Amino acid sequence: MTVALLRGEYMQVEVRVFSGLEKFLDQKRFGEPFSVEVQDNWDLRSLLDHLSIPKEQVFTKLVNGKHQELDYKLNDGDRVSLFPPVGGG
Amino acid sequence: MLDEHQLLRYDRNILLNGIGAKGQQKLLNSKVLVVGAGGLGSPIAFYLAAAGVGTLGIMDADDVDYSNLQRQIIHWTGDVNRPKVESAAEKLKKLNPGIEVIEYRERLTEKNYLDKIRGYDAVADGTDSFPTRFLINDACVRYGIAYMYGGVLGFVGQAMTVIPGSTPCLRCIFPSEPDSNAPTCREEGVLGTVPGVIGSIIATEVIKYSIGLGELLTGRILTYDGLSMQFFNVDVERTPDCPTCGGV
Repeated sequence: MTVALLRGEYMQVEVRVFSGLEKFLDQKRFGEPFSVEVQDNWDLRSLLDHLSIPKEQVFTKLVNGKHQELDYKLNDGDRVSLFPPVGGG
Repeated sequence: MLDEHQLLRYDRNILLNGIGAKGQQKLLNSKVLVVGAGGLGSPIAFYLAAAGVGTLGIMDADDVDYSNLQRQIIHWTGDVNRPKVESAAEKLKKLNPGIEVIEYRERLTEKNYLDKIRGYDAVADGTDSFPTRFLINDACVRYGIAYMYGGVLGFVGQAMTVIPGSTPCLRCIFPSEPDSNAPTCREEGVLGTVPGVIGSIIATEVIKYSIGLGELLTGRILTYDGLSMQFFNVDVERTPDCPTCGGV
């Protein structure tokens, strides 16, 4: 944990949203990364709540390339990619 | 050994670095199952048949519907109400009489999935359901068969190739079925060209895998957005406790 975090300051994670989830966010485009300041006790559920993305719309939650559940505790510098189910054929 | 007609038919493949007559022979010897003869299955099957994949299995239980014709380009207006596999096989045999097309007018189920998939070298995903994809994934991991996943929705699509035992499988990144309230093509629509793009990518992966060519789309999901016309690769890793490939 950094000195800044010990002072109670925010961590930053990189978020990318794909395949229609961008419609829940203002001025965010498909696949383009943006930074989000998160508190050091936040999990993925807190992040989705903060971004106002409905949890039932999110199918895959990759953190640094690995699928994680909603209770995954975020770490400074995590790279989060969010996908809806893209299931048509 | 390729005959005179094959040398002419596949000339533009054979000219390519890394393919040649040897690579073309590998394609002719390969066996590929396409599950689903719809939006994705149409370009997949067309391109694999044209490329000379020697044995092409096509599986679908449905009949052609008018609402399919906007994107399922292997089916034409006169095919409405015909079984999709019959309609597809007819076109594929006309396109390339030199390959074997095997029709499966049935669904992939928990009872038949192992038997249907065993014996193929690769399975191409043209389905529209995650439970069916999980069956394909599980059978491919069990038998060490390459699996090319694809999916589409609206203006977007994605694809990934699974090489069992060495790259992430579908269950590593999609461990469970989607929420029942999640969007589907039936509710949200899909632009007809999107399965064309993703199906062409899947067919490219099958051809590369069959010949042993290039870098496969493994360890990453390729995502496509037709509206912004952008592609992104998103790296993915194997999940050590994956229910399907964790012990492989």
